[in-house]
Amino acid sequence: MADLPSDLVVAGVAPAADEAAAAKVEGRWRSSLGVIVPAVMVAFIFGVCFIWPLIGPVPSPTGGTILDSNLPAFSPGHFLGTDAVGNDEWSRLLYGGRSSLEIALAVQAIGIVVGGLIGAIAGYMGGWRDSTIMRLLDVLIAFPGLVLAVAIAQGLGPSKLNTIWALCFFSVPATARIARAATLRVREQTFMVAARLSGTSFPRMLVGHIAPNILPQLLTYALLGMGIIMILEGALSFVGLGVPPPAPSWGNMIAQGQSTLSAQPRFVFLPSAALFITVVSFNLLGEGLRSRWSGQ
Amino acid sequence: MSSSTAPLSAPLAARAGWWSRLAGSPTLRFIVRRLLLAIPVLFGVTFLSFVVMNSLPGDAAQELLGAQATPSEIHQLRAQLGLDKPFLTRYWDWLHGVITGHLGHSLSSGQSVGSILVSDLPVTFELVAFAFLFSLALAVPVALACARKPNGVADRLSMMFSMAGLSVAPYVLALVLVYVFAVKLNVLPAIGWVPPGQGLWQNIRHLILPAVSIGLGLLCFYTRLLRADLLEQMQGEDYVVTARAKGVRPWRVLTHHALRNSLFGLITVVALNLGTLLGFTVVIEDIFGIPGIGHELLQAIDNRDVPVIEGIVFVFAVIVVLANLAADVLYSILDPRIRYGRPTE
Repeated sequence: MADLPSDLVVAGVAPAADEAAAAKVEGRWRSSLGVIVPAVMVAFIFGVCFIWPLIGPVPSPTGGTILDSNLPAFSPGHFLGTDAVGNDEWSRLLYGGRSSLEIALAVQAIGIVVGGLIGAIAGYMGGWRDSTIMRLLDVLIAFPGLVLAVAIAQGLGPSKLNTIWALCFFSVPATARIARAATLRVREQTFMVAARLSGTSFPRMLVGHIAPNILPQLLTYALLGMGIIMILEGALSFVGLGVPPPAPSWGNMIAQGQSTLSAQPRFVFLPSAALFITVVSFNLLGEGLRSRWSGQ
Repeated sequence: MSSSTAPLSAPLAARAGWWSRLAGSPTLRFIVRRLLLAIPVLFGVTFLSFVVMNSLPGDAAQELLGAQATPSEIHQLRAQLGLDKPFLTRYWDWLHGVITGHLGHSLSSGQSVGSILVSDLPVTFELVAFAFLFSLALAVPVALACARKPNGVADRLSMMFSMAGLSVAPYVLALVLVYVFAVKLNVLPAIGWVPPGQGLWQNIRHLILPAVSIGLGLLCFYTRLLRADLLEQMQGEDYVVTARAKGVRPWRVLTHHALRNSLFGLITVVALNLGTLLGFTVVIEDIFGIPGIGHELLQAIDNRDVPVIEGIVFVFAVIVVLANLAADVLYSILDPRIRYGRPTE
């Protein structure tokens, strides 16, 4: 946290100096804890989903035999039991998390690159180009996103890649708006004016001057958006699209579990709990980072 | 004679003054400008959905006749439905219909799109209204309790709870609620819908679980937002200092002074949320078997029923655009410090 300029501190409102210093130290410690804890949680989730299947003895998430169907938890060889067609539930959770995380990462990466570029160009150029781009984004935002996603997924056929394309219609316009607002803030700063006066080319401005200044903000919002994208991926599974079964994703596991909710609620609750913990971790991390940025 | 004309001309003059005041009002000019800007957006949205539906493989004729249909049968039905016309002609026909007030007829059932909207929209509106009611009715008291003692026990608990609530997928919440209240406790129906005409109590009972599924996320979002705004008002604003200096009790400052100002911000966010909310009703209506607009939309996409899709998308887009406009206008009316009409950047 930067020190407040002394002329901003109203007399009588500012706490005593040592009290303020103590509060600052505690605040810094607490705010870094607010970032470290969720960051460790996110790292742990990634580790479990991506590394465990490589090193641990995990059966295949698909192609189980019907003889092993609906085994309860803690059965020999199946730590969380098996699903209705005999696939190991723990393995499905790991591989399902893998594909949910992969989809969310890909969608947010495309959002940052494409949306960031669009927003930065609109914000930097201004004028009619800015208004045209923003009107086009308005169209995408006013368009019920789920309709577009459903239509795309239907037209291209349900698959993981097509799910990513469909979900990009959420991330790109949202990121572009944030990138534009951030670009507008840095555009008139002295170093930008200096760079412009010394004849820096537009691509170089974009990569060398705008990107480093708006990326922290975009990344923070991308983290907050990870949870939303993972939730939307599941929503697509509910309407029969998204990642096509038998390949697992948390979303399609929840959607499939819906039909056996009263008899076998764990098929809904296990992937739901995994999804919830992951989304909470991303939200806490994003929130922690954001309060750190806004505090500065 | 002049005395008799005076009462006649006085209202005229008053009316002229009223008119020029209205025409010169920045708020009105702002509204008109935004409405004009909304036209290309609506145009773009409907055109985009036409393009998307047009580029999908298969069309309504094929979906209606099934896989066994001969090419000549499909050809005949396509001609009958007007699907053989060029793409732009079809869009132009549709657009012409909208301007003259006709949204066309469903390709699969022959029902007019207008009547489909009239029968399905109220169901979705009721669901959304209940969700808003639930979230706002709880968000205001919880946020007040939080702002009363920042970092107190109530504040921390509700901040933790709202972070958790924000991270729950609405469909997960729906399934958990169904499991607890319908399967285990058996106090509320799991699926279905009863029109309010056939018993208001049954209607509300069927709405509770879907409305809470949608509303919990909103509740958490609004609570956090309102709390942050209340704290900002309480810490920085002169009128709060004045009220305190007069000896107004802290609780009263919070509820009668700060809350009034913070609610303005909340109202605008509520309006802005409407678009996202409409998207999520699709999934919730699907889970609970509610015959609303989202349910109709999924079916129409399945049947490639372009007029129905176009009608629903058009209505959604109009709602989103109007809600955004209402949010901006409300904000400018409630907070006159905000001046529109000229971009600030």
